[in-house]
Amino acid sequence: MFKVRYVIKKIGFLFITLFSVLTFNFFLFRILPGDPLRLIARAGNLSSDSIARLNELFGLNQPKWMQYLIYLKNLATGQFGTSITFRRPVIEILQERLLNTAILLTLATIIVVAIGVGAGAIAATRRGSRLDNVFVVTSMVCWSLPTFWAGLILIILLGVSLSFFPIAGISTPGMIYFSSWDRIMDFARHLVLPTITLIIVDMAQFFMITRSALVDVLTTDYIHTAKAKGLSKNRILWKHAFPNALLPIVTATAVYVSLLIGGAIQVETVFSFPGMGKLMYDAVLRRDYPILEASFFIFAVFTILANFISDVIYMIIDPRVKNV
Amino acid sequence: MNEKNINEKNNTSTSLILGRFKNETWVQQMWADPLGKAGIIILVAVILISIIGPIVFPFDSKAGDSVEGVFRPPSSVHWLGTDDMGRDIFRATLTGAQVSLFVGLTASAISIIVGAIVGLLSGYYFGFGSNLSMRVTDFFFVLPVLPLIIVLASIFGQNIYITILVIGLTSWPSTARIVRSQVLSIREYKFIERIKSLGATDFRIIFAHILPNVMPLIYSNTVLVIAGAILAEATLAFLGLGDPVRVSWGTMLHYAFVSGAAGRQAWWYLLPPGIGIVLVVLSFTLTGHTLDKILNPRLRDY
Amino acid sequence: MFSNSKLLFDKLLVLCLIFTIVICGCSQGAQSQTIDKETLRIGWTSEPDTLNPLTTISTEALQVLGLVYEPLLAYGTNLETIYKLAESYTYSDDGLVVTYKLRSGVKWHDGEPFTSEDVVSTYNLIKDTGIGQYYQYMEFLEDVSGPDDLTVVMTFSEPQAFNMAQAVLILPKHIWGEMTAEEIEMFSNDAPIGTGAFTFSEWRQGSTVTLKRFDDYYGEPAGPGQIIFVLYGNEDVMAQALKGNEIDIITEVSPLVWEGLQNTENIKAVSLPSFSFHHIGINVCGDETSLGNPFLKDKAVRQALSYALDREQLVNIALAGHGSPGASIIPAGMMEWQYIPDEQMDADLDKANELLDEAGYMDTNEDGIREKNGVPLVFRIMAIESTTVDVRAVQLFRDSAKKAGIKLELSTVDENTLAGVVYNVDAPDWDLFVWGWDSDYPDPGYLLGVPLTSQIGNNNDVFYSNPEYDALYSQQSTEVDRAKRKIVTDEMQKIFYEDAPYLVMWYQDKLQAYRTDTWTGWEETPGGIIYNVTYENYKNVQPIQ
Repeated sequence: MFKVRYVIKKIGFLFITLFSVLTFNFFLFRILPGDPLRLIARAGNLSSDSIARLNELFGLNQPKWMQYLIYLKNLATGQFGTSITFRRPVIEILQERLLNTAILLTLATIIVVAIGVGAGAIAATRRGSRLDNVFVVTSMVCWSLPTFWAGLILIILLGVSLSFFPIAGISTPGMIYFSSWDRIMDFARHLVLPTITLIIVDMAQFFMITRSALVDVLTTDYIHTAKAKGLSKNRILWKHAFPNALLPIVTATAVYVSLLIGGAIQVETVFSFPGMGKLMYDAVLRRDYPILEASFFIFAVFTILANFISDVIYMIIDPRVKNV
Repeated sequence: MNEKNINEKNNTSTSLILGRFKNETWVQQMWADPLGKAGIIILVAVILISIIGPIVFPFDSKAGDSVEGVFRPPSSVHWLGTDDMGRDIFRATLTGAQVSLFVGLTASAISIIVGAIVGLLSGYYFGFGSNLSMRVTDFFFVLPVLPLIIVLASIFGQNIYITILVIGLTSWPSTARIVRSQVLSIREYKFIERIKSLGATDFRIIFAHILPNVMPLIYSNTVLVIAGAILAEATLAFLGLGDPVRVSWGTMLHYAFVSGAAGRQAWWYLLPPGIGIVLVVLSFTLTGHTLDKILNPRLRDY
Repeated sequence: MFSNSKLLFDKLLVLCLIFTIVICGCSQGAQSQTIDKETLRIGWTSEPDTLNPLTTISTEALQVLGLVYEPLLAYGTNLETIYKLAESYTYSDDGLVVTYKLRSGVKWHDGEPFTSEDVVSTYNLIKDTGIGQYYQYMEFLEDVSGPDDLTVVMTFSEPQAFNMAQAVLILPKHIWGEMTAEEIEMFSNDAPIGTGAFTFSEWRQGSTVTLKRFDDYYGEPAGPGQIIFVLYGNEDVMAQALKGNEIDIITEVSPLVWEGLQNTENIKAVSLPSFSFHHIGINVCGDETSLGNPFLKDKAVRQALSYALDREQLVNIALAGHGSPGASIIPAGMMEWQYIPDEQMDADLDKANELLDEAGYMDTNEDGIREKNGVPLVFRIMAIESTTVDVRAVQLFRDSAKKAGIKLELSTVDENTLAGVVYNVDAPDWDLFVWGWDSDYPDPGYLLGVPLTSQIGNNNDVFYSNPEYDALYSQQSTEVDRAKRKIVTDEMQKIFYEDAPYLVMWYQDKLQAYRTDTWTGWEETPGGIIYNVTYENYKNVQPIQ
């Protein structure tokens, strides 16, 4: 019963956190120096009428608290505002970008988890062996790679010298698609390098967490007792070790999401991948407040949700949690 | 873990700090482990190089004078070739080591101190203050790191001190959280009650008794934080948000990227800074991994 | 050891195998790609902001819009005036009335017929709402009318040196005619309908813009059946794409990347004179509220800075030699309009030191920096982080200025922050900056109009105010006789040069490259093969079979 109360409490905190992020978001972007309209005026020779009108349209000359209320009202109605650079609703700009990034990150995560957990289990069960050492060292080297640098090296190795895979964008310009399959394969080919980059760097995180969590469990008296009792090794691993190791792994997921988002921004920049990461970075350069808020908010929401879900799962799995 | 184990661990680690367990043995243990040994060697080497290197081979940040001097491959004059302004990359890499390490270490120091204090205080005390600080910690914890760093750096400017502050202020929550959760369990232990009943002040309890038990965690966390800080600085600089006046490994890679080093196949420009970053971060990771093993006795059991 | 983990190991191996097969399968796909030979693929590193010709400020957008829409007159591949929607025009004797005879049988992309009403509607729309970059040319426009379907009459109060009919894109009345100013500001124009040789097909944000050949075009059918503009996040990657035959031509790249394209098989790298310059702007705001360093209001200091600057060195290092040292604000690409000063205030440290000595700035405390009344000559200078050539330039400038006893404190910011700081009319808090100007058209009027007093708060980024200069500007803008106009523009350039609120560093070359094995017929126009005021190259090239 207390678990239900716990969950409700967590949901409550979830909303409070979301609201705080909204507010934090708003103020953060309003204290940025730099006025986007000035740049537009310079390049476009706007009449002062035009400038006045634009200021009004974007509510830029109203007192902050007024802007804040407008902001909240818009969010409640599902509007993320209008982009200053593109002059169209932010939602429209976000849609396709979100999809691209989602595909990239989902693909990467599936493979990362599969490899990370799998290799982690192998390494843990064979800890101390040469294989384990190789895995550990390899994964540490991978973890130490800056994601963007890994991408650059891949570009040179596989994209320029060997030309196996495209190094930019999501489609081949001018290609004629004879079927949907062609189109999908083209997209897939463009996904390869960015995904591999993400995998190389992020898999290490998962591997290390899994391995150390498993090792932690596998060296307890509890497991030694089980071994002594003659239980099959497989059974010990899957029925006894893993469930206990899940806790730290699940907790790590939340941190992993933040890492993943950071990775996405770098990878999208290096590979000209039209996703949320690149959008956000371009928006910072142009001081496009509405896009910035929206993308920062979305990233934050994902991270918060990931934390929330991992908290709930943690609670479900861990019988010891009573109150927080 | 049952209480018996904890007390054992408690005693071992307390004594670690209180010095009964000699420091040399601790380092010796690190040395005995091949990974730990590698980590220490690399770390010491990098630190030495970053201190001595720029003195022996000072870097001249003035641009070269001729067009022919740019993007030259390694030669006897320029051991690692020249960059897009005709400057010596070998020397730039040495100077870059200093900057990258400086930012990484300073930012981490801020992060860990703030994180540890927040963690200790919010873990030990009950009530509004503790809840509030926990909420604030959680709030900053769930903000995605790189987007936040990018935004803060672009608001407050691009100089090295801003970078340090920004990185420091975005990474303290992880330390705080870890410390806090450990403190939560420690404060329940009988021996704390005993000390309290003997009349010790909160301050003493926290810093003289709880802190030592948390130190091992802080140590292993520190190492990760430093690694993360160095990577963060490199990423920020690569994205163009670093201090343009100073040469750091990240800014070198930034200029390499935008000036077309990849296309010119100027591997001598792209490899050294990247390898530098990897080595430094790796040394901390290796050290951290070994430290984990040492401080958690059970992990030594293979 | 756990022997059953062997099963795990095997499973992992299988996974890896599957993964590898998928990857190989993907790369097999590479060989069987079919690329449409009639699609012209163009690479750029920035994409349009909007497809609305009245609200756009992006060069990329104009490239697309200039193919979908057309003006009455346009520029050919030698920058000569050519006829588009107008087939002829005549001036009245006093030069105040222009009559255009329009082409007949022209259709909009949606099938509607084109008439003079569209022209009248477009001009009136801009004049009435004041929206967009064309408005600046309409100061003296009195009336636009269409006496019949194929005739347009424009009446001015002053003769016009620059004929804006070469600029203003004609919009369909049946779409734009009734729009209010607010509607125009917010109109994204997602499906532009024009009269040009290409119709708009789609814009995949962050990725590509596609245009298709218009089969009912009144003129010669265009060579490309389709044009795709491809967005790359980085110039180097774009250059790789060109080498890899992923694109046919690129819009523009920086010097070092361009160098990498030299001597590459099947690629021609060209260097063309451009209509732009990069400069150092000096805060000469005369208001007391200005927070700029007051020493900069002393002409001697500005001229000394100019003498300290070694422009040849800047061109060699920052631009890798691809440009020429600058002086006047009219770039070399504009040929006869450019004023070349007899005495160049350039690369003469002795003269710089001499000027400062005479003006009383001495280094009394031997710290290498001159002072006056105890205040040292220390100036803040800002550059845009992402414009690498500017950052390099300012680093070099800092070293040079030091030798004249002036200290420069460098900071780099993003473009928007710089704009916010520089254009702050209330209290401009800056000393120097590095930036650049691009002239939209090969007419000096635009660039000369930048430092006008009336442009303070708009284009006039240095707060320069000189009534004599303003008067001369009005004079030249209404002087139709080229020779007479040149005398006035020369005078203006001389005044501005000697006052030195701008230190023009260089006129950079337009560096472009294209493949020689996919399309033929590229003409190397001053200002650029593409990404220029002429759109003819897009239409004239033919695919190589």
